[in-house]
Amino acid sequence: MIEITEAPIDYAALTERVRSHGAGAVCTFLGTVRELTGERRTARLEYEAYPEMALKKMAELEAEARRRWPITELALVHRVGCLDLGEVSVVVAVSCPHRQTAFESCQWLIDTLKEIVPIWKKEVWADGSEEWVHPGIEPPSG
Amino acid sequence: MGRPKLLLPIGGVSVIARVTGALREGGADPVVVVVAPASMPGAAALASEAARAGGTVVVAAEPPPDMRTSVERGFDYLAQSLPPPTFLLAPGDSPGLSADLVARVITQARTHPHAIIIPEALGRRGHPVALPWSLAREIRDLPEDVGINYLIARNSHRVLTFEVAEPAALEDLDTPADYHRWSVTGRRLGALDVAGPERDHGYGEPEVRTLRVTIRLFALARQRAGCAEAALDVAEPATVAALKRALSDQYPALRPLVPQLMIAIDGEYVSDENRPVPPGAEVAAIPPVSGGMDKLRPGVAP
Repeated sequence: MIEITEAPIDYAALTERVRSHGAGAVCTFLGTVRELTGERRTARLEYEAYPEMALKKMAELEAEARRRWPITELALVHRVGCLDLGEVSVVVAVSCPHRQTAFESCQWLIDTLKEIVPIWKKEVWADGSEEWVHPGIEPPSG
Repeated sequence: MGRPKLLLPIGGVSVIARVTGALREGGADPVVVVVAPASMPGAAALASEAARAGGTVVVAAEPPPDMRTSVERGFDYLAQSLPPPTFLLAPGDSPGLSADLVARVITQARTHPHAIIIPEALGRRGHPVALPWSLAREIRDLPEDVGINYLIARNSHRVLTFEVAEPAALEDLDTPADYHRWSVTGRRLGALDVAGPERDHGYGEPEVRTLRVTIRLFALARQRAGCAEAALDVAEPATVAALKRALSDQYPALRPLVPQLMIAIDGEYVSDENRPVPPGAEVAAIPPVSGGMDKLRPGVAP
């Protein structure tokens, strides 16, 4: 299952969804909104997607993960819009016959998703300033 | 519809004869006059007036429902032989059209063979309009419900206006057209121009052929540009590198970001900057995503 949504993600339901008699292991990863980055305090995060391409890339990730590992069920869901501290921004849930492949595939999926799926986040800091997180692009000074 | 207004005499000469004569004297050759079938009221008289004034009469098989259809019948005629490199468009009912104005438009068209030449007076656009023949093909491919104005708007980067002091000769292109309203005229500009290269005659901007590309912008790029989509005129050959140059040049606020942007065409990252941008493709500027895209970026070590 692949989805981009503005609504809070029900990660428990997604975990249930991938559970299967064919699987001996379920791995669910949650990305959540962290308050502190170093000494800076986050007020909220704003996520923006290029939805058509993001869904396409997520489907490609699923196909590649299924090619590499014996995945029984899989769910990839990303949230967009305004997220408060502690909220879930992304869920990867995988079930496999054995735990090692469940761990490996889940980690590969979240790592690769964050590298190639066109979804961006903007930090809104507690001091009111804002900053798009674009590695390699320096935030404007001052 | 009663007596066609094109047959009304002005100074002893019918409107159609005046317009045809002005186009001929101004240097257009041939002057193609598209008329309705002879069964339509006044059509036969119109044809004979136009022919007497030196026009080449093209009788449409059916009454053309609009200006664009009339113009297309004219193109059909011109395409039967070697079509001219440039053609002029003028409505049949512009009695103020003068040979001098026609000559000046033709001079401009010779100097800027790839531009759309439009005379302008007091801020209003008029006639005749000169267009490169390559646009005649585009007119045929336009959606059914749009006309010549749409074509000109779509190619606005090629439009070159010049000021004239004859408001009487000018009429708005938006005027609704009767079936007999438009005439088409072709002007041969010489063998050199026919066979010549498509670009760089050294006459300035209009000769640079460009492709209009709409690019979607996201995140910081969207914020800096102040819009989610940007219309770019990309110099041909329209490669990804040319697209990035156009983005830098036409949206200076994005200039510092452009080296870091990935371009996606139809939802796929393009790392080869020599890759052409196909007309009509969905193009997007992709700033680095938070997990880093360094592996995908050309020239950046992982």
